Amino acid sequence: MRSFSSLLSCIAVLSSFAAAELNLSQPLLSKQVLASTFKPPQVFKNVNLVRTTNLDKGFPRETINVIIENVDAKPQSEYYLPFESSLISRVGGLEVKDKKSPEKGALRVEVVGFDTASSTEFYLIHLPTPLAPKEQQTLSISYSVLSALKPVPAQISQADKQYVQYTFSVYTPSAYLTEKQKTKVKFPSADVPDYTTVSAELNAEKKADPQKQGSTFSYGPYDNVPAGAEELVSVRYEFTKPIAHASLLERDIEVSHWGGNLATEERYWLSNLGASLKNHFSRVEWQKQSYMNPPTTALKALNVPLAAGALNPYFTDDIGNVSTSRFRTGKRESNLELKPRYPIFGGWKYSFRVGWDADLNTYLRKLSTGESYVLKVPFLEGPKSPEGIQYERIHLRVILPEGATNVKYSTSVPIVDSHTDIHKTFMDTIGRSSLTLTAINLVDDFRDRDLIVTYDYPWTAGFRKPIVITLGAFVVFTAAWVVGNLDTSIGKKKVA
Amino acid sequence: MAAPASDTLLQQFTGRKTRGVLRFVILGLIAGAAVSSRLFSVIRFESIIHEFDPWFNFRATKYLVQNGFYSFWDWFDDRTWHPLGRVTGGTLYPGLMVTSGVIYHALRALTLPVDIRNICVLLAPGFSGLTAFATYLLTSEMVASPSAGLLAAAFMGITPGYISRSVAGSYDNEAIAIFLLVFTFFLWIKAVKNGSMFWGALTALFYGYMVSAWGGYVFITNLLPLHAFVLICMGRYSPRLYVSYTSWYALGTLASMQIPFVGFLPIRSSEHMSSLGVFGLIQIVGFVEYVRVQLPNKQFQTLLRALVFVIFVVAFGGLVVLTVSGTIAPWSGRFYSLWDTAYAKIHIPIIASVSEHQPTAWPAFFFDLSMMIWLFPAGVYMCFRSLTDEQVFIVIYSVLASYFAGVMVRLMLTLTPIVCVASAMAFSQILDTYLDAKIPEQGAKENGSSDPAKVAAAVLPDGLRSTRNPLVGIYSYASRLTVIGASTVYLMLFVLHCTWVTSNAYSSPSVVLASRLPDGSQHIIDDYREAYYWLRQNTPDNAKVMSWWDYGYQIGGMADRPTLVDNNTWNNTHIATVGKAMSSREEVSYPIMRQHEVDYVLVVFGGLLGYSGDDINKFLWMVRIAEGIWPEEVKERNFFTQRGEYRVDEEATPTMKNSLMYKMSYYNYNSLFPAGQATDRVRGVRLPAEGPQLSTIEEAFTSENWIIRIYKVKEPDNFGRDHQSATAFDKGHKKKRASKRKGPRVLRVE
Amino acid sequence: MRWLQLLTVSVLPLVALAAKKPSGDRFSDFRSKSLSSGNLKLDDNVYTQLTKAPRDYSVVVLLTALETRFGCTLCREFQPEWDLLSKSWQKGDKKAESRLLFGTLDFVDGKSTFQSLMLQTAPVILFFHPTVGPDAKVDAQPVRFDFTAGPQSAEQIHAWVARQLPASSPKPSVVRPINYVKIISVTTAVLGLITFVTVASPYIVPVLQNRNLWAAFSLIGVLLFTSGHMFNHIRKVPYVSGDGKGGISYFAGGFSNQFGLESQIVAAIYGVLSFATISLALKVPRIADARAQQIAVFIWSGVLLCMYSFLLSVFRIKNGGYQFWLPPF
Repeated sequence: MRSFSSLLSCIAVLSSFAAAELNLSQPLLSKQVLASTFKPPQVFKNVNLVRTTNLDKGFPRETINVIIENVDAKPQSEYYLPFESSLISRVGGLEVKDKKSPEKGALRVEVVGFDTASSTEFYLIHLPTPLAPKEQQTLSISYSVLSALKPVPAQISQADKQYVQYTFSVYTPSAYLTEKQKTKVKFPSADVPDYTTVSAELNAEKKADPQKQGSTFSYGPYDNVPAGAEELVSVRYEFTKPIAHASLLERDIEVSHWGGNLATEERYWLSNLGASLKNHFSRVEWQKQSYMNPPTTALKALNVPLAAGALNPYFTDDIGNVSTSRFRTGKRESNLELKPRYPIFGGWKYSFRVGWDADLNTYLRKLSTGESYVLKVPFLEGPKSPEGIQYERIHLRVILPEGATNVKYSTSVPIVDSHTDIHKTFMDTIGRSSLTLTAINLVDDFRDRDLIVTYDYPWTAGFRKPIVITLGAFVVFTAAWVVGNLDTSIGKKKVA
Repeated sequence: MAAPASDTLLQQFTGRKTRGVLRFVILGLIAGAAVSSRLFSVIRFESIIHEFDPWFNFRATKYLVQNGFYSFWDWFDDRTWHPLGRVTGGTLYPGLMVTSGVIYHALRALTLPVDIRNICVLLAPGFSGLTAFATYLLTSEMVASPSAGLLAAAFMGITPGYISRSVAGSYDNEAIAIFLLVFTFFLWIKAVKNGSMFWGALTALFYGYMVSAWGGYVFITNLLPLHAFVLICMGRYSPRLYVSYTSWYALGTLASMQIPFVGFLPIRSSEHMSSLGVFGLIQIVGFVEYVRVQLPNKQFQTLLRALVFVIFVVAFGGLVVLTVSGTIAPWSGRFYSLWDTAYAKIHIPIIASVSEHQPTAWPAFFFDLSMMIWLFPAGVYMCFRSLTDEQVFIVIYSVLASYFAGVMVRLMLTLTPIVCVASAMAFSQILDTYLDAKIPEQGAKENGSSDPAKVAAAVLPDGLRSTRNPLVGIYSYASRLTVIGASTVYLMLFVLHCTWVTSNAYSSPSVVLASRLPDGSQHIIDDYREAYYWLRQNTPDNAKVMSWWDYGYQIGGMADRPTLVDNNTWNNTHIATVGKAMSSREEVSYPIMRQHEVDYVLVVFGGLLGYSGDDINKFLWMVRIAEGIWPEEVKERNFFTQRGEYRVDEEATPTMKNSLMYKMSYYNYNSLFPAGQATDRVRGVRLPAEGPQLSTIEEAFTSENWIIRIYKVKEPDNFGRDHQSATAFDKGHKKKRASKRKGPRVLRVE
Repeated sequence: MRWLQLLTVSVLPLVALAAKKPSGDRFSDFRSKSLSSGNLKLDDNVYTQLTKAPRDYSVVVLLTALETRFGCTLCREFQPEWDLLSKSWQKGDKKAESRLLFGTLDFVDGKSTFQSLMLQTAPVILFFHPTVGPDAKVDAQPVRFDFTAGPQSAEQIHAWVARQLPASSPKPSVVRPINYVKIISVTTAVLGLITFVTVASPYIVPVLQNRNLWAAFSLIGVLLFTSGHMFNHIRKVPYVSGDGKGGISYFAGGFSNQFGLESQIVAAIYGVLSFATISLALKVPRIADARAQQIAVFIWSGVLLCMYSFLLSVFRIKNGGYQFWLPPF
């Protein structure tokens, strides 16, 4: 519930914030605007910092384990984490845990920054309990950076390997002095043709930098890196997999009490950020290599694991049903295998929609208080693949039955916007209340997060529709009767 | 088919309410049967728009729904016929789109979230139910027996002749037009019978609707006047006729002129002159009749008759003169080719090239009408028994429509309703006779029934005098059983036939092809949509796509890209241009494509799959149409070998082998096969060992089964070389790597 | 001596004339020859004469085979059109500004030419461009017109020829002679008809008002059209064709083609079927005698059944996949 309250505060902030309307070009973040003279007070220092950059998916995943110490006189609870403002708009799913007690769940995090002129912005981490002077605490900060991999060369031919380049600062960005730090880079394979070497002087042990063990590089250790120090390095490694990127995902969840049904529909705007084809697509080559299927940068199929009991799924796009999909139902989970109409090579797009039904009882519970219900649905489903998939923006809409009131929600996924409005469909009179949540920069690691919605639904509301329809039919019949009894003949002559 | 049986069972019932209800229920069932028998394709495949023209109607409907009626009315579409564009709002029959638009908005008003596509797909079946009802009404006007109407409705509901154009997804003008046709005729008959202005006005109203829906309205425009004319000639002129005809003509013409596409045609073109002429004639006749009633003087009447005749002749001459002088447009090509059947073949190859404009062989008739084809003449004959005004109508309609149906396959559609009506009349006659419960007493027993002469005379019926001697009825149950049993069997057979034909012949949405895998399971071949969707997703929004006109509408609808030509073949020259580009050498085609800003070229190639409806098989039409405009540059002769064969293999003529179409179809094809093994499964021939080489265009996409191949037109070379030398240069460099990667690959030797 | 010189001098022009005489302008004397009948009747050597280079005029030659034993109907159909074209062309430019000659070479006179051109088919039209002069073409090869599109009208050939000629030269259009005989005959016939009608109206009107007549007409019409007569008419299908084994095959294979006889058979079947229906529906219930009625019912039902089953069997021939049938066939 803590994260919930924090979200509420975010929303409160947001409501005051002008740029509330969403547009895809400028990802929206909930942020406090601080004076441009702001400098994080030097009340902490990083005693030891280890950063792990995991590159085996289509997007880098950073994990920072840092021991912080309060160097100030008074207890402190606000830890700042700086980012480039260009970078922060691509940072997704930043979560901070207390290493000692991870079971407490994520710490409260919010984005703060200068006005638009500034180049640096901060994530502000609120420590649950203020840290007393000379006290130490271990934080584990994890986030992933979207669309950070740049294919080099940008154009390859159909059968070639793909190499991508990732550029980052070898000094972990920090607002405080860092006494000791190192960075581990985990590559998907040992094939790393190019990487920046850092001069040995900078290195604490005066060793060649980076150190290689198999597919893992490690930069550092470095001593006493001042706050805000930066040293850009870039690595180029083989990654012959598609880089799936959904610029937008619209996800509707419709609750129907009458039908006892939970209908889900997802609309994807998918594209492959991999290297584009040097020559055009050649079907001959494709068919030839399809026999022994080698790793390819083309996105051939999507695998959507659904919860058990998912019914009659569909897979369509703008011009109708896509016949090349298979649906396997299992005991524990059922699996929807989607095959796009054509292999999606780098730079190609494919937008489609999938949907399915499910039995409502497994997701909805009626509270003992009587008329209020609790709905528990996964915040994010959709394709699951080793190379991962990144979502630039997600609109989740939960459509509750007509007459549902007092809608509340809670989730552990960072939300940037949420509002409830009215959605009219299927002969509604007053319309159904629908809750719309917006999240940005998510990755498929968030698949298993839940969304919990509570709402009140009086039993009388269920009977509105039948009554309305009956009345309507009655009116129609009366009208027909009246019209039927009209006599259109002119004069005395009676029409046969 | 329970209709007639149950209905005659009602003889025992009393109270017309019960009958009315029962009749209503039966009609409902018939409508249900009509709708459901059209859903094969939806069940087998999906709810999808079929074939070609429907895709345009669908697109237009979406435009109407999105942009509202007025912007639809003056819609200039710059995404077709590039660079000309098309004044779509003024060159289409809006009835269909407006209808589904209205339905869509009505459902929205009820907050029913129905996809416009589903409305379009299911419009035709829905209207077929209405058509069945209209047929019931029409037939009930013709004969007293109520069973005839129900029978006709049932026939109309399931006859393949109508289903062929109204299965779910064939969202074409005919979908609603046939209902309007039948219903207009019903109203007309009603008007003629009652002589009421009200019914006349209704006729005009629905006539207007029909005009807005289908070009076939001309059939009504000529049939009603003909009916009136024949009635007058039969000396059956009556005020009823006068009132109904004049009210129909005046209002109907005004209504029809509201459609931009029709505009002033009703007074300018020969197709409409008959109605005008009869309008004039009926005025004169009316006047004469009036005068005749006033002063009954023999000589004077003859004088008047002469006057009528003279005026008629003069007016007719005037019309002819106007036509010749060109004030009145002569017959339009399509219409003219109905009379002079050789006309289209010579002058308008585009019309001749359309398969549904071919003449009809007899199997097609039986295929579409089954048993009714021989019940039909019987029904027509029965109309001569008591030749009432409306039955005269049936006779005229039958003869005309069967002529048209014989000349053009697609006009089978106009024949079908009257066939249903007539054969229902015949069949119900039989049923009523033999299901009649009461047995006549043997009054005529003693006067020597045994003498063979009478028997013989009885066995051979003679003309209409058969109705002279009094109706007796059926004596024995044996004969009843025989006839009823037989008829039931025939009806069953009819239903079986219709279902079989519908499911086998008329239920595939030619966009999606179905094939059977060895294990008998259905495998769907979806190449069209694969390629179209690729275009839609991965090409710039205004990339011009050049293809043969058959695919124009589909590209517009599914790929949503501008096209050069499409199925609305209003500009022959433009089509010929595309034909020329397809059928000439690359060096010739490239400038043409550049001039028309073509970015992609799309061809359909069935060689790998054995899909016979591909472009190589249509190629000769492209050549012919191009030759019609550029006889010097494109010559059909050069595509035939010395022995006059049309070949694609080693013996193909150089012109054929160098034509862009040939190259695009077979480019890279033989690298699928071991060297020299490449075969074309449609033509069933072995292809030349060395595949064609392309220099000015490059392969951009090829669908899974190679049915659709898309080529990108190259930009002009950076170094200003011509593309031939450029490609040659590149090949020279690529040689080693190419051969390493692709195994044996034939390189052009310069 | 002197007079001898004089003589020679005086003779020389004559000699020159004499020498000139035979080698006159080929075009003009060919044209003068052709003046009589519009186009020249050629044989092998005249043909070579006419078409040998150098040529300062253009030639159109029709290679045809008119004699019946060659059985070239197309040739015979086209011949009048050809004559009409050449004649009207000659009339058209009297002063021969187009410098165009028409020639006709029949196979019987020009076998060797046909062989040299390696022609298997007739008719063929060749157009020889002039090899010298202002509008000469570089390639000496004649332009060839094959009758692939079937019989051609004079106008069509005229258009083709006109395309070959340079734009400057006159292209007199085809003038079809007005057929006075036809006009007169038609008018007289019409007038005669009118008078006949007026005179004989008392006898004709009842006939015209006879229902049976009209019924017969409309029924025949319907039966004709529904049995695919228009198809025969348009596609000009053969009346009947023999199968491989010397017999006659009455029914063409394939769903969308038919023979003339076939369609008539089908029409007959339809006719019988509907006749049976009519008599069952109208005639039988009017038979006063029970036994007679019984017999009639059985007979007509039998006829109906047999005919329908026969029709189905025929249809199964046309459409292989068709699976419905009735006894006995």
